[in-house]
Amino acid sequence: MTTDSDYAKHEHHEFLAASRLAMANASLQSSLSLLGTSLGQRNREAFEAFADSSLMRDKARAIKDATLADLDKHLETLEANVLKRGGQVHFAADGDDACEIIVGILRDRGAKRVVKSKSMTSEEVHLNPALEAAGIEPIETDFGEYIIQVAGQRPSHLVAPAMHLRASDVSKILSPVAGRQLPEDATQLAAFARERLRSGFATADAGITGANFAIAETGTIVLVENEGNIRLSTAMPRIHIALLGIEKVIPRLDDLPVFLKILPRAATGQKLSIYTSMITGARRAEELDGPEEFHLVLLDNGRTRILGGPLRESLFCIRCGACLNACPIYRNIGGHAYGGVYSGPIGAVLTPLYDGLAANRHLPHASSLCGACQAACPVKIAIPEMLIQLREQLHHESGELGWIESLAYRLWARAMRSPRLYRLATWLATRTAGRLWSSGWMSRLPGGLNGWTASRDFPAPAPTRFRDWWDSEQNGGPL
Amino acid sequence: MNREEFLTRVRTAAAAGRAYRVDVNADIPDGAGYVGGGGDLAVCLAHEIAAVGGQATVVDDLAAARTALGALLELYRPRSAFCWQHPLLDRLQLDELLAERKIAQSNSQSLAALSYDARRKSMLAADIGITSASFAIAETGSLVMIAQRGQERLASLLPPVHVAIVERAQILPDLFDLFAELRRAGYDNLPSNLAMITGPSKTGDIEMTLTTGVHGPGKWHVIVVR
Repeated sequence: MTTDSDYAKHEHHEFLAASRLAMANASLQSSLSLLGTSLGQRNREAFEAFADSSLMRDKARAIKDATLADLDKHLETLEANVLKRGGQVHFAADGDDACEIIVGILRDRGAKRVVKSKSMTSEEVHLNPALEAAGIEPIETDFGEYIIQVAGQRPSHLVAPAMHLRASDVSKILSPVAGRQLPEDATQLAAFARERLRSGFATADAGITGANFAIAETGTIVLVENEGNIRLSTAMPRIHIALLGIEKVIPRLDDLPVFLKILPRAATGQKLSIYTSMITGARRAEELDGPEEFHLVLLDNGRTRILGGPLRESLFCIRCGACLNACPIYRNIGGHAYGGVYSGPIGAVLTPLYDGLAANRHLPHASSLCGACQAACPVKIAIPEMLIQLREQLHHESGELGWIESLAYRLWARAMRSPRLYRLATWLATRTAGRLWSSGWMSRLPGGLNGWTASRDFPAPAPTRFRDWWDSEQNGGPL
Repeated sequence: MNREEFLTRVRTAAAAGRAYRVDVNADIPDGAGYVGGGGDLAVCLAHEIAAVGGQATVVDDLAAARTALGALLELYRPRSAFCWQHPLLDRLQLDELLAERKIAQSNSQSLAALSYDARRKSMLAADIGITSASFAIAETGSLVMIAQRGQERLASLLPPVHVAIVERAQILPDLFDLFAELRRAGYDNLPSNLAMITGPSKTGDIEMTLTTGVHGPGKWHVIVVR
């Protein structure tokens, strides 16, 4: 039998089964209930500092749209400026490429141990298993990510990877590493992680990070965090390798403050994260700390496929997690149910695009299209519209609908185009179903339509057509 | 994959994607999103620092700053301090302040003389980090740390306590003003590492419970000289 913990460990395509388990998991439900009241609420309050926060979102959106239109040029500029600062640039077409490049750099230098900062992109390419296979020990240093790594799980939230776990769970996970019973107390558990990870920073041969942004005209990468593990990972080891999805490029240094003003606010409700690092190349000769080598790995892995298509706008995502915190579905089932690396509303768009629509056919339907995600998104990504597009594409591609449902929709479409047919159909429906189900609700639809009534009732046609009622009330002429 | 192939693929996709460009608001006034400090920048900075969990002390002159720093050294009783070399710290006579209390000092001068391993050991052993900053931002309560010889990145990061002393002339009203300063200095002069610090090291990873000091300093003091 598949359990919660299996879904927490492995990517999968069982959205419905995993959701059911998640909804029955009391501990997860209590963790999820914190999201809307903490992160979501703080997000809304933090934007109140702006006279018109909508303008900042528009500005960020405009920069993203223009950047993607000439992404190739900006990547070339970025490359030139990284090289100018003595850094090296690598090009990875897919996840395997990226792993091979990174493992190659580390092997050449005899690296045995690396400290890693939290990076969804490295989750996406499955970097840790690749490093381990090459005999290199990766140590996750973000506290949440460290817990997840020890537990052998996947992150369940873009920003708070271990938010599905309670302090008691974490104590159980970390106690064997400590060799003693750790208290079920967040502060003391964090103190244990600090001690443990310090020795990792001091002995690692390389630091591997993602990047929140890369500035083309200066060759700078930007990293945003609250713990300080990214600063340690990029200051202590001799080598720094950054893995960057190509959509994260912004053209100018002056574009950065726009994004720095919205990203932390949308993610955690902070005006700025505790640590914002702008890294431009390796350390200069006269400096006493910082890495001697800087490598930037540019990753495509399906991004160009999205870039050239109608769902291009999904590449505007800055991975703040605001849509997760706002989504009534995510807040009921958590991140692991979505099956892929990216969860929540934006994951419901990205996972089918990266991993295939047919295999992830439930995800575009995992939305009430209430629009809360778009309202929360700091770059105003039209997530509901994209979900509808994906649904449409699914219907065309996969013959997902049963023949009855498909026939019903066809008849409906036909009737809506002809007033005479429409009148006849409504007359028929009121005289049959409308009279038969006088309660107004049908609790079971037949055959292939029964999915609709599995968890709710279907509204039955009225016993009288509205037009007939209108006429009988002698309301005068035609509507 | 080779570079040419990669970039060609991006070029083709970007061109095809132009058919799907989104409508954007073309009418965004200059200065949108500018918040600024408002009023006395030193007071505003101190207020924001307190709001993010730091401890700020506003003083009127260098002598008062020296007293405030002395009080912190009494409080934490460090055995060793990892210090920046900075004109403001010289004016405070930091060296004497530490010597009087028999606190060992690591700074770029002493560290440069050491081997790689010994240097790292010395940095890791420090009980307190004492720095100034390149700039401070009143809007957000941030200190801006630009890496250079004498101003090591790890001084504000490795020790469990970080104390910074900044003066009025270093305070900028808004994050946008920092980028105006960087533009003025010239983009070719960007440092290898610029860090904005806005609070003590924090995590909320377990049940959203806020815990400080998970990797960086758990105690963050800023003395603001008016």
